[in-house]
Amino acid sequence: MSTTVRITVNGMPEDVPSSATMADLIDLFHEMDRDLIVEHNGRFVFPQEYKVIRVAPNDRVEFIHPNFGG
Amino acid sequence: MLSDEEARRYSRQMQLPEIGLEGQARIAAGRVLVAGLGGLGSIGAYYLAAAGVGHLRLVDRDRVALENLNRQILHASTDIGRPKAASAAEKLSRLNPHCRVEAIETDIGDDHAEALIEGCSVIFDATDNRATRQVLNSASVKKGVPFVYGGISGWEGTASTFIPGRTPCFSCLFPPMAETVEAEPPPALGPTAGLVASLQCLDTLRLLIGLAPRLAGRLLQFSGSAMEFRTLPIDRNPHCPVCSRLQCPSSP
Repeated sequence: MSTTVRITVNGMPEDVPSSATMADLIDLFHEMDRDLIVEHNGRFVFPQEYKVIRVAPNDRVEFIHPNFGG
Repeated sequence: MLSDEEARRYSRQMQLPEIGLEGQARIAAGRVLVAGLGGLGSIGAYYLAAAGVGHLRLVDRDRVALENLNRQILHASTDIGRPKAASAAEKLSRLNPHCRVEAIETDIGDDHAEALIEGCSVIFDATDNRATRQVLNSASVKKGVPFVYGGISGWEGTASTFIPGRTPCFSCLFPPMAETVEAEPPPALGPTAGLVASLQCLDTLRLLIGLAPRLAGRLLQFSGSAMEFRTLPIDRNPHCPVCSRLQCPSSP
């Protein structure tokens, strides 16, 4: 039984633990930006959902760094 | 009613079927708060004044400094040391004497943000930090004034248009957080600011004309290093501490 799933992170194929949450992925990919935005299968993920939403095979996850300079 | 001079001044944009005489009159009736007169505000205020927005309220607490001039092209070398609001007002009045320009040299704080947006139909966000945007967003939600967000860092930019009660607000996406140490100012490149501010101007004009703003319910991310635009659909956050109590209007 496989313990990892193949997903796409920032356009690159990645094998991650099969029950990983968005919060786990943020740790795994060392996304330190406190302003980080997570996009999961084309949907904006609210920070309140990071520990709830889990990956499934072939998911697409993007980490977006919003900008606040002017 | 437009004078002959105004009709000629705006003739090229009035050729657009969405604008015409009626749209131009709506633009002239518009009052926009331009919050910040740096990289985004320089371009935003310039295009809005040029397009014939009737009233611009310009707010910035800073004075022009040498390191601003790579991107803040409303200000010139001879303006160094002058308040940005006054420097901007002078250029905009020269560009378009039909535009009533109000220059206010102040920061934007919780205690007077609502007064600053009083009477305005749109908030054009050209601030340079997350905390000030939270303040403006709260005032936007409370007063029901659309908030046109733009931000930049180096080659990259972000933009969205927040319509209170209808779309997410700034705090739906970026919840208020205790400010720790003040972040270092990010790198800033003129064309990135110009591009993001231009996108904000397009949605601001759409709002004034009465067209649907295209960045409502969408977050746009621009990468100038990859030359790519991406947009992400965004929903209201049921847990938003600022706007979750607002009812969604039944009619669009």
